[in-house]
Amino acid sequence: MRRTSVFCLFLSACSGSVGDPSELGTDGGPGPGPGPREDGGTVVVEPPPPPPFAPAPGTLQRLTRTRYLSSVQDLLGPGLNWPTDLEVDTPLFGFTSVGASTLTIGPRAAEQYEAAAMSLAHQIFTDATRREAFVGCVPSGAADPCVRSFLGRFGERAFRRPLSGDELDRWQLVVTNIEASLRDVWTGLELATAGLLQSPYFLYRVEVGSPDPADATRYRYDGYELATRLAYFVWGSTPDDELLAAAGRGELDTTAGVEAQTRRLLASPRSKDGLLLFFFEHLKLDRLEGLTKSPTAFPQFTPAMGPAMRDEILRLVEAEVLGEGGDFRRLLTSQRGFINDDLARIYFMPSAGPQLTEVNHPANSPRRGILTTAGFLALNAHETISSPTYRGRYIRQSLLCQDIPPPPANVNPTVPEAPVNSGPQTFRQRLEALHLSNPTCAGCHQLMDPLGFGLEGFDAIGAYRTTDNGLPINASGTLDGRAFKNAAELVEVLADHRDLGACLAKVTYRHATGHKETTGETRTLRAVTAPFVESGYQFDALVVAIATSDGFRYAKVPE
Amino acid sequence: MSKFGLERRTFLKGILGGAAVSIGVPALDAMFDGNGTRLAFGQAIPKRFGIWFFGNGIRRAHWIPDQAGPAWVAKEEMAPLATAELRPYVTPVTGMVMMADPNNHPHHSGMAGIFTGQRYFLNGNVRDTISSSFDAPSIDQVVAERWQADPATRAPYRSLEVGICRFRGSDEGTTFQHLSHNGPNNVNPAEYQPIRLFQRLFGTPLSAQLDQARQSVLDAVKADTRALKQRLGASDKARLDQHLESIRSIELRLGTTRAQCATPARPDATYPEPNGQEPIAEKNRVMSDILAMAMACDLTRVFSVLFSSAGAGTVFWMAGAQNGLHQIAHDERAQGPEPQPTLHAAQVFTMQQFAYFLERLRTTPEGAGNLLDSCAILCATELSEGMVHTNDEFPIVLAGRAGGAMQSGFHYRSNRENTTNVLLTLLRAVGDPRPSFGAGTGLSSTVIPSLLT
Repeated sequence: MRRTSVFCLFLSACSGSVGDPSELGTDGGPGPGPGPREDGGTVVVEPPPPPPFAPAPGTLQRLTRTRYLSSVQDLLGPGLNWPTDLEVDTPLFGFTSVGASTLTIGPRAAEQYEAAAMSLAHQIFTDATRREAFVGCVPSGAADPCVRSFLGRFGERAFRRPLSGDELDRWQLVVTNIEASLRDVWTGLELATAGLLQSPYFLYRVEVGSPDPADATRYRYDGYELATRLAYFVWGSTPDDELLAAAGRGELDTTAGVEAQTRRLLASPRSKDGLLLFFFEHLKLDRLEGLTKSPTAFPQFTPAMGPAMRDEILRLVEAEVLGEGGDFRRLLTSQRGFINDDLARIYFMPSAGPQLTEVNHPANSPRRGILTTAGFLALNAHETISSPTYRGRYIRQSLLCQDIPPPPANVNPTVPEAPVNSGPQTFRQRLEALHLSNPTCAGCHQLMDPLGFGLEGFDAIGAYRTTDNGLPINASGTLDGRAFKNAAELVEVLADHRDLGACLAKVTYRHATGHKETTGETRTLRAVTAPFVESGYQFDALVVAIATSDGFRYAKVPE
Repeated sequence: MSKFGLERRTFLKGILGGAAVSIGVPALDAMFDGNGTRLAFGQAIPKRFGIWFFGNGIRRAHWIPDQAGPAWVAKEEMAPLATAELRPYVTPVTGMVMMADPNNHPHHSGMAGIFTGQRYFLNGNVRDTISSSFDAPSIDQVVAERWQADPATRAPYRSLEVGICRFRGSDEGTTFQHLSHNGPNNVNPAEYQPIRLFQRLFGTPLSAQLDQARQSVLDAVKADTRALKQRLGASDKARLDQHLESIRSIELRLGTTRAQCATPARPDATYPEPNGQEPIAEKNRVMSDILAMAMACDLTRVFSVLFSSAGAGTVFWMAGAQNGLHQIAHDERAQGPEPQPTLHAAQVFTMQQFAYFLERLRTTPEGAGNLLDSCAILCATELSEGMVHTNDEFPIVLAGRAGGAMQSGFHYRSNRENTTNVLLTLLRAVGDPRPSFGAGTGLSSTVIPSLLT
């Protein structure tokens, strides 16, 4: 049984409550955990047993920009100019999938989708050889069976399910009308193709389920919906023919069938891009693309470094986490690095060439895993100085899934300069004076800053340092009662933290299902955590556990 | 379709004849009636409405003019708006209070409150990073919806959304990432790339021959959408209603010819950031130029400019900034001999950018006056002082005269009125007769008489 501790003292100014940090699946709100204690001590409680499983409502997830692009590439084949003018994604609760299940298609986006679809279809149909290969036959007119068979075949790939007779009639009518007005059946097919790519059945993943024959209290995602969920989760793209065929045969109605298909997708090299998408978003690596640092404080920093930092992290995830034998904990403790010339300057290593090359950080190196990559450190820092708060907050919120309330209004959070006559101070000392000695701030910052202090040996671009403002770095601290002396020890304590597996399971599930998990899914989250942790934190095991879980396969009965 | 048609071309050629937009007035006379208030072929000069947002507040001591009324003297951070030319068009509004949601989550409360007159919409009940959206359409879309519904006020583009500084904010919901909202989690994202805005408005249009075919396609898309709606719960149904509305905005442009209109200078394909330094002034300049021309051509009558986002992380390097504005606002000491020089320079720079936009409108002649005469513009930020996150003394600047409906050129000093009063007053200025605006504690049924003529 899990035990829960409350880590800090909360005063009224830090309104909110850490609540029950290791409770899974809470939908927010002050949890059932204990209230704050005035002495700031530790309270140990048994969490109540989770409520019975209650599936979340089905989702209507718009294809995110990335998933739209990979889908049209799969549907239309290589060699086209892919649209670049598409709406930017809006992540919610950390993930674009959640945002895409919530946001709408506004006037501008509809315009962009139309232009993209028209351009893609035109590129195919303007090329006689390509259009024949794409359509699969040469139509004599809109009534030619060739047209309907093409609409059925392409429509099924685009909609990720077979089209009904009514739908085929509707789209055939488009071809007929356009042939009549423009006297060309190929133009009719071109515009129908552009139309299918603007249909809500393509632009949204329609996952609403239908009555579950085994249980009237819930809906079940049908085979095609499940194929869609699986494909976008594992490949980040639309289902292939084989997955749709398996859905058509009813194979995704059984746990064994879902597991078999999940393992097939995982075994494919395509799973790499799909699964990296999760880590890309979870680590917010998009922000490394345009990473900027103060040219005054870091004249050695160049704009090329951000993308190299991003790629290093992706390579590290691929090497340590993905595939058979992967272990998520090694992402934290790994001694591997991937560097090129740009990164070599930050890591104080010899020239490595323009491409990322794998290196092993020696035992006496301060580098251990993702938290000590230049990318993580630079991303979670200011332009001029490190940020123990940002770094600690990432660890607390994103790796351990513990909530931190936002700062209160009307506080002046200006970090005080050192008093004139007190001599130099480290940034740690200044933060300790501001955040940790002031009770208004300390309640929350106690959760963040001390973890970030463990990474104070690295500056705002992630370069190692032994002094700050001329004084030796103190990188020691404690994480939930376990002491560390430096970053290398911090990551070991973290890799061993009891909340680590449950947290990764929770955020992966959120990404995969495109919604913020609800209380009714607490049992599902526990059920997917257990095999993951027991497997030795193999990410593949987590993927299979999520794909076969109740929460992934069942939906709430619509109201 | 432009209501001005071909006649407009003569007029606009003049505007674009050279960098200096002062053009031969006699050439214009033929285009307007004797009073210069209506075009010669009978249509009134349209009103325009827009919002211009900059993130992270101001510094009250360097913002609020000392004197109320027409004798106001600008403090240094508002001074770019107080040139001899712009002064008659600019109305600082001070002393207002964000009543929609005072000091709950300042960035969120202020951002949603100043554009909707009500509290933000909370995305689920979470305790960590708050994630929010607007709970109602932002005021630009309130106006756009009304104008779009009436053929007499409809323009080809219901509204245009423009972004200037790169979004560097955090994952806190649409309130941080976007400005223009149609409702909760229903946004009109800004275009940040000048070339795309240019192509969209002035690029080669699809062949008119295709319009009928496109309509056939959109009919099928709508039929699919309506069929899908039947299977969905209320909230997803509403999302598809918006999608249908969005398709409708495409349909309204089908079968019409694009306005015969002069084209502004083609922007650069990209705006590189040497050493990570954003060319903010350059982007603001070209975006302002395109936007002014889009209105001169009557391609749109409603706009929003997201200069920088709430809690702006923009690095104002030209102001000497090494860090994002939000961080500087917290870190740069206000006390002592150094009165926040970087913050000061960044604020001045920001108002210079707004001033450029206003000046661009002012120097675009129209009828007897200029584009700025026809505009009602709300310029705001999401909180008062970035350093301490407050919502009192909420900073607002109005610009333009709404075609003569707005009184301008004076400092309106309020005694703690509801910020929503300003929104209701603006709606009144652009012809919206509704009796109240906003909701909850932000609700207002009070028009500010002195802001209207």
